[in-house]
Amino acid sequence: MSKAGQAEKSLRLILVDDDSRRAAIVQSSLVKGGFCVLSIIPTGSGLLHQMAQYEPDVVIIALDSPDRDVLESLSIASAHNPKPVVMFSGAGDSGFITDAIAAGVSAYQTENLSAERVKAAIDVAVAQFSAYDTLKRELVDTRRQLKDRKIVERAKGLLMSLHNISEDQAFSTLRTLAMDKNETLGQACQGVVTLLEKPGKNGAEQ
Amino acid sequence: MTIHRLPNPEKEQVELGYLRLSDSAPVIMAQEMGLYKKYGLDVTLRREVSWANLRDKLVIGSLDAAQMLAPLPLATAMGLGGMRAEVLTGLALSLNGNAITVSPSLAAGIAEHGGDVIESARSTARGLAAHQRENPNSNTLTFASAHSFSCHTFELRLWLNAGGLDPDRDVRIIVLPPEQMVDSLARGIIDGFCVGEPWNSIAVQGGIGAVQATGYQILNNGIEKVLGVTRQWHQHNGATHLRLRLALLEACAWLAHPANRRQAAYVLASPDYLDLPVDYLLPSLTGEYVFSKDQKPIELPHFHVFGRFQAGFPWRSSGEWLLQQTGAMLGKPMSSEQTKALVQQTFRTDLYRESARYLDLPCPSGDYKPVNKHSDVWQMEPGIELGPDLSF
Repeated sequence: MSKAGQAEKSLRLILVDDDSRRAAIVQSSLVKGGFCVLSIIPTGSGLLHQMAQYEPDVVIIALDSPDRDVLESLSIASAHNPKPVVMFSGAGDSGFITDAIAAGVSAYQTENLSAERVKAAIDVAVAQFSAYDTLKRELVDTRRQLKDRKIVERAKGLLMSLHNISEDQAFSTLRTLAMDKNETLGQACQGVVTLLEKPGKNGAEQ
Repeated sequence: MTIHRLPNPEKEQVELGYLRLSDSAPVIMAQEMGLYKKYGLDVTLRREVSWANLRDKLVIGSLDAAQMLAPLPLATAMGLGGMRAEVLTGLALSLNGNAITVSPSLAAGIAEHGGDVIESARSTARGLAAHQRENPNSNTLTFASAHSFSCHTFELRLWLNAGGLDPDRDVRIIVLPPEQMVDSLARGIIDGFCVGEPWNSIAVQGGIGAVQATGYQILNNGIEKVLGVTRQWHQHNGATHLRLRLALLEACAWLAHPANRRQAAYVLASPDYLDLPVDYLLPSLTGEYVFSKDQKPIELPHFHVFGRFQAGFPWRSSGEWLLQQTGAMLGKPMSSEQTKALVQQTFRTDLYRESARYLDLPCPSGDYKPVNKHSDVWQMEPGIELGPDLSF
């Protein structure tokens, strides 16, 4: 293969990720960036076989995949492994690994490739992993907020009917309770709902 | 009671990484028994899915300390496989704890050729070699190890060698995560593996494999897991590190009593930790080990060693042995000066001595112990009792 040919050829990647939705997003960004995604594989489905079959330039692997130790075993050159891989460490950029780990991703490349060439691909992956992580966290937050709002309404309703007080009074009672117990409003309301909705406890002590 | 005043911890919140293994018992029991708290630390245990993750998180500082394979601090210092960083240990957490398991059909072949694990691991190694010689046209056998730079790999290679098989040419050795080994054996993707518990017992109880050698049989009382921290972290958090080691030393001393092992198995099995049926954990932790399904348990009190035989001491001789094995595997032996220098900065016997002083524990005066000299428990010096040290 001529040097010029090699420079023009787009990098060939394998993506190891159990989260198929995330993998699809990362793949589509990589393809848009002009990289060739050979295969997307979940954990435990023959990474070694795929490595031998495709001989990728780069492997991008989710941190939550236990297959990282498998990949690192391919750093040892042998008859079974003529193209050893090395962990991509960001070409002298000391912050890279920290950012990548925070985003939940890690990458390996064949030894012969220049780190600069590989970096372009890995930057795309790190950015997508990071964005996905933020999105997921926002989703969790939103769900919790929605759940909290519902539980606050229920707790308010219960207090209002039990003590015959106004909505504002009920809310202020719940807020004081949360502050006293050093809990979030959601947690305090959950406690009130659990207590008041216990079967056989209609406000009167037995 | 602590006679000596401990320096105040530089940080109280400590993130400690571990993997889903029976010999994580010290880090888990120290939490359950409130030992970290006793030493003024608020420890959060983090179960990681791979040694690579554990190492990287340690290096970037998202973990403060971690249970590590004994060769891993050395391999990390050399940058083998992944990130290069200075990691050190001042406390070994356990000795032994691995086993080699093969498929029932291969076990039958080994037995037909005189291999009997109860007699010796050498006999099963020879049985395997004889079986292979008789079937020269069969496919190359594939064995899995949990990590390239691990005692699992070294033990597997020593065992194959003992039977007369060349681990580089006569078989194929690959790395698989422990949790994939049993399934891979069941599906015939691999013929055998060397892994820590409970993964051998899981294969045995499912009738998927039969144990052919224990780590103890291959190397009596070999160092297995250590407490690793980066050199930089140690420099900034020396007192926290000391307190962590003291808590873990106490947990190891508690685990040294056979009567406590059953309780430890129940704690480890819980969803908070290994999240596995306790039946998988009991054989190796209680030392009533079962080699193959439907066989009676055999008494193996040293299957895991915690807190006995100076198990916590990070012997430089052990470190040098690990580097020799690493060099042999890579086909690149290190010079003895390089080996000594790397072990000296990684296996910190001075830190062990510091912790032993605070607990008034006896401690070896030298950094080296003999190998392959003792078939029984022996006294190295007054108060220093060591275990057998025979090896292949």
